[in-house]
Amino acid sequence: MKKKIMSGLLILVLLIVGITGCGSQQRSDETGSSGDEEGQKTFVFGDTTFNAENGEPDINPHNDNSGWACIRYGVGETLFRFNDEMEMEPWLAESCENVDEYTWKIVLREGISFTSGRVMDAEAVKECLEDLVKNHPRAAENLSIAEITAEDMTLTIRTSIPVPALINYLADPYGCIYDVQAGVTEEGIVQGTGPYRAVSLTTDSEMELVKNENYWNGEPKIDKITVRTISDGDTLTMALQSGEIDAAYGMPYASYPLFENDNYTFTSCETSRVFFGAMNFESPVTSDPAVRKAIAMGIDKEGFVETLLGGNGYPAAGVYPDNVSFGGDVVSAESYDPEGAKQVLEEAGWVDTDGDGIREKDGTSLVLRWLTYPSRQEQPLLAESAQATLGEIGFQVEINNTADHNRIRTDSDAWDIYVSAMVTAPTGDPEYFFKYHCLDSSSNNDGHYHSDRLEELAQEMAKTFDADKRAELAIQMQKVILDDNAYVFCSHLRMSMISKANVTGLTAHPCDYYEITVDLDIE
Amino acid sequence: MIERVKNRLRKRSGKNRIKQRLIIFSVLVALLLLLALFSEKLCPYDPAQQNFAIALEPPGPAHLFGTDRYGRDMLSRVLVGAHISIFSALILVAVITAAGSLIGVAAGYAGGKLDAVVMRISDICLAFPGLIFALAIAAVLNGGVENAVIALAAVSWPKYARLSRSQTLAVKQSDYIQAARLAGNTPVQMILRHILPNIMGQILVTAMLDIGTMMMEIAALSFLGLGAKPPTAEWGSMMSEGRSMLQTYPWVVLTPGIGIFISVALFNLLGDTLRDYMDPRNRRETVKNS
Repeated sequence: MKKKIMSGLLILVLLIVGITGCGSQQRSDETGSSGDEEGQKTFVFGDTTFNAENGEPDINPHNDNSGWACIRYGVGETLFRFNDEMEMEPWLAESCENVDEYTWKIVLREGISFTSGRVMDAEAVKECLEDLVKNHPRAAENLSIAEITAEDMTLTIRTSIPVPALINYLADPYGCIYDVQAGVTEEGIVQGTGPYRAVSLTTDSEMELVKNENYWNGEPKIDKITVRTISDGDTLTMALQSGEIDAAYGMPYASYPLFENDNYTFTSCETSRVFFGAMNFESPVTSDPAVRKAIAMGIDKEGFVETLLGGNGYPAAGVYPDNVSFGGDVVSAESYDPEGAKQVLEEAGWVDTDGDGIREKDGTSLVLRWLTYPSRQEQPLLAESAQATLGEIGFQVEINNTADHNRIRTDSDAWDIYVSAMVTAPTGDPEYFFKYHCLDSSSNNDGHYHSDRLEELAQEMAKTFDADKRAELAIQMQKVILDDNAYVFCSHLRMSMISKANVTGLTAHPCDYYEITVDLDIE
Repeated sequence: MIERVKNRLRKRSGKNRIKQRLIIFSVLVALLLLLALFSEKLCPYDPAQQNFAIALEPPGPAHLFGTDRYGRDMLSRVLVGAHISIFSALILVAVITAAGSLIGVAAGYAGGKLDAVVMRISDICLAFPGLIFALAIAAVLNGGVENAVIALAAVSWPKYARLSRSQTLAVKQSDYIQAARLAGNTPVQMILRHILPNIMGQILVTAMLDIGTMMMEIAALSFLGLGAKPPTAEWGSMMSEGRSMLQTYPWVVLTPGIGIFISVALFNLLGDTLRDYMDPRNRRETVKNS
């Protein structure tokens, strides 16, 4: 009798487990991407970089780096944009005239409305740009706007100093035009002009978008888009494998082989994002030119790119990639030469006196504090690779791979080399990188690098309008920082997105700004 | 009569089996410790030496456990990892056993305010989820294996304090303890000569069973980036580094994982067997048999 009761109970438990299992399966199907759900097309996008750590807590373009999220996910658009050759072309603007050194006249495109319903005219754009320079220090410094006047569809911008790259700066993600009168919600949602409208947003979690029924440049094909923040590469891999998401940005390179088949599509292109190290000139170690030269000679860029990035990039010589006239091979840097690096250190007096494999000079050990951060998957790999190659030369590399890097890098006593990944020509113009990283006035010059020659060249560039002359100045400026080994540029990134085979219109762009566009579709 | 003989034989063979198991597991653990102790000498390659030309090679004759993404020999790294993982767990268990037991015995023997204060502190420590508390401490200490051990020690000692206190309270009223006190022993002598030796068995068994757990917890902290730092080979951090390759290059994750599995299983089996061996019922049977 007891056995019968036990058997009955066991069957009951199994039934409950089975029913529960089926129930959860059904739920997972419902929450997963379906492509076509109740006659509506849905699309789920997984991204490792849409998070507060990257300065993208929301989609308000006037907040830190959130403009990237605003433009990438199809909410905001800028007055000008880059084409596939990284040349400027009008977007929300129709034309532009450089009246004089200080004055720009921009005519806006007709027939565009914000998702709030308000028509986009010169007054609306003026309000947006005024709010931008009020709230975004980098934009204010870039644009140097003295006055904006709005008349119907014509916007006149007067700058306080000559700003030759003004149009380029207006194509930066912070330049997304949104309806300031409609405001910014508590979640950080704005009403832009893009093909999609954000309806909900939870920082570091997800954002829901619906199509903009009144989009000016065609009809968006997806009814509902979910952008999920998936910071962990393995979770992203499994999410795409399981069908929970339709496409992914930031997939670990080790996972690529899983998707190299007919069920998935890769879209890749070379970008101006570069992995580079900035030396700390206040450190007793990296203030020594010989040490900086040895570091530049001691990093195996080829090995890093070919093996650790799986060929998804190419070794960098200077600041800019091959696809701009002032980038690629126009400059040369120290090549990987461990023996040469040892000699440089020996000649400078860095000698291993106690036989522990680490060089010393005047009682100071050759310890290199390598500061970097984990949200870019390549950086910990570069750090560990350099730890080994520099270790062979006589360095002891101490890696601090932390999400708290932005606070630590402002303390020049806490690091010797800060390695980050930056888009060096986000505006297609060379001035940006130097302005923000290398000059006395640069907000990101945390290593306090100074060069009189570089300051002179920067001043000259600031008043040069001719593109060819600017390119020539950019080349000279790169030579200065490379001669000083103030920065070591390791590799440029080939950016990839992976999607299911039934996804179309998701195309990688060299500027890394445009991902979800009106062309996106799912079959 | 026959039934009694059968029972006695069964118990005797059971005791013999425990003894056999104890010997086998002790030998295996000793071998593991020797392996960990001499791991650097046994490594076929330098565990930190990178060689991109042979990155992610599958297990083969040249590299029995394959290579990782930097071209480092996995067998060498697993061997060196054994040294760090096992000995850091042993040090941790030794520290918490010694510290926790002394605190617990002192509190139990002295009683009164000291007992109340120590027990309330241990209550506070036990009120937090152990690993989460250890994570917070390790993060404050800025990671590293040493700091992971300190963090885990800070949250794990109360278990031993409570155990030794309860054991002390149980033996404190025994006649032989009263007699020792009347003989003029000081409190320190009482604790060291008469109480600790009588409660050590239970504490040692608990410590033995904890080695596996602590090894897992150190590996967990390293997996989360708060333990060993690169290029140190430690099983938890090796698994963390290779976790994105589980589907594509599984040996990078599985080899340190198997190392953890075997070590934890061996220490747990030894602990279990030791507990069985020291079980008073089995010991009584041994006395009777002799």
